[in-house]
Amino acid sequence: MKRGVGICAIYAVFLFMMLPVNAASQTSMRKDPRDLSGTWRNQYTPNLADALGKQPPFTAYGAERWRTVDTSKDPTGICLPPGPSRVFTSPFPFMLVQQDNVIGLLFEYQTLWRAVYMDGRAHPPDILDYPEFMGHSVGRWEGNTLVIDTVAINERTWLDTAGHEHSPKLHLIERIRKVSDDKLEWTATFDDPVFFARPWSITRTFTRFDDKTDRIMPYTCNENNRDVEHLKPNQPNLDFKYEPDKQ
Amino acid sequence: MMNKMKCVLALLCCFAFSSLSALAHHSFAAQYDRSKPVTLKGTVTKMEWMNPHIYFHIDVKDADVVVNWAIEGGAPSMLYRNGWRIDSLKVGDEVTVDGWLAKDGTNLANMRTATLANGKTVFGASSGGDTR
Repeated sequence: MKRGVGICAIYAVFLFMMLPVNAASQTSMRKDPRDLSGTWRNQYTPNLADALGKQPPFTAYGAERWRTVDTSKDPTGICLPPGPSRVFTSPFPFMLVQQDNVIGLLFEYQTLWRAVYMDGRAHPPDILDYPEFMGHSVGRWEGNTLVIDTVAINERTWLDTAGHEHSPKLHLIERIRKVSDDKLEWTATFDDPVFFARPWSITRTFTRFDDKTDRIMPYTCNENNRDVEHLKPNQPNLDFKYEPDKQ
Repeated sequence: MMNKMKCVLALLCCFAFSSLSALAHHSFAAQYDRSKPVTLKGTVTKMEWMNPHIYFHIDVKDADVVVNWAIEGGAPSMLYRNGWRIDSLKVGDEVTVDGWLAKDGTNLANMRTATLANGKTVFGASSGGDTR
């Protein structure tokens, strides 16, 4: 009996000693500039031109596509995935799960995921023949900035709700940097010679999301997508003038 | 005073965030007509707390005719985070909905606000704030 009490006492002391250590190690993990793990709230941006301060630098073809885009054809309106960058500008949080060899991005929006391979691999040589709605991503560290390189993004995805589109040649470069324990800076660069005359970038901020009092919730888009039967043709940009010298 | 200020700021942030929840998965203007605001007063007959957006249905009495309308709100997760629950609006509740009519002329509206008979507003600004 006495022996049992003694073991319990030792265990209690052990637990007591461990608690502050765990708390301290969690704090130091959070302060590690390369530890991006956690749950984060996006900065909702339905029109990337608002973040850029102007329209992107279109090619003549890209400008015509923008001028004539019909927003009732938005692929997410029929619950197709939003693509690797639009999911980061949706009004729904995501979870970042980090290992040395891979980073997992788990999105509430449409219950989607992205895998960012960090083991030095290249994109598969035939990946352009098999495009993916969320693209294929590999990552690396440049200092304390995570650089994600994504290709083979299915051209059916749009870059935003406003209707900016892209071609199969879109090369997406994302840079994620921890600017404080509770904020990440995300810069996305869109390089697509079919739609855009030169690469262009936007920067958004992700804010830590309290996953003790909140949680990632389900978003099963086809559960009750009544909207689709009510969509009507809508071309809001028909007055857009392409002025290549001014962009 | 400071606490009151914080409270007001928090409410404003909450409102701003919820008003942006919007139809994230497609353009507002592809489905609704911003130039056609509508006020509908009726009795809740059904609640669909489902993705991608909640819908509820109300019976609206006009003279002796009762017409059932569908009302679209925001995404369930966004509403939940703003404090709303599946029973914030119940079958049988009398409700006044301010919103916009669907472009296709069906008995469908997008909700800006829904106000109960006791004056309480529910699902505030959950859906109509998208940009286009």
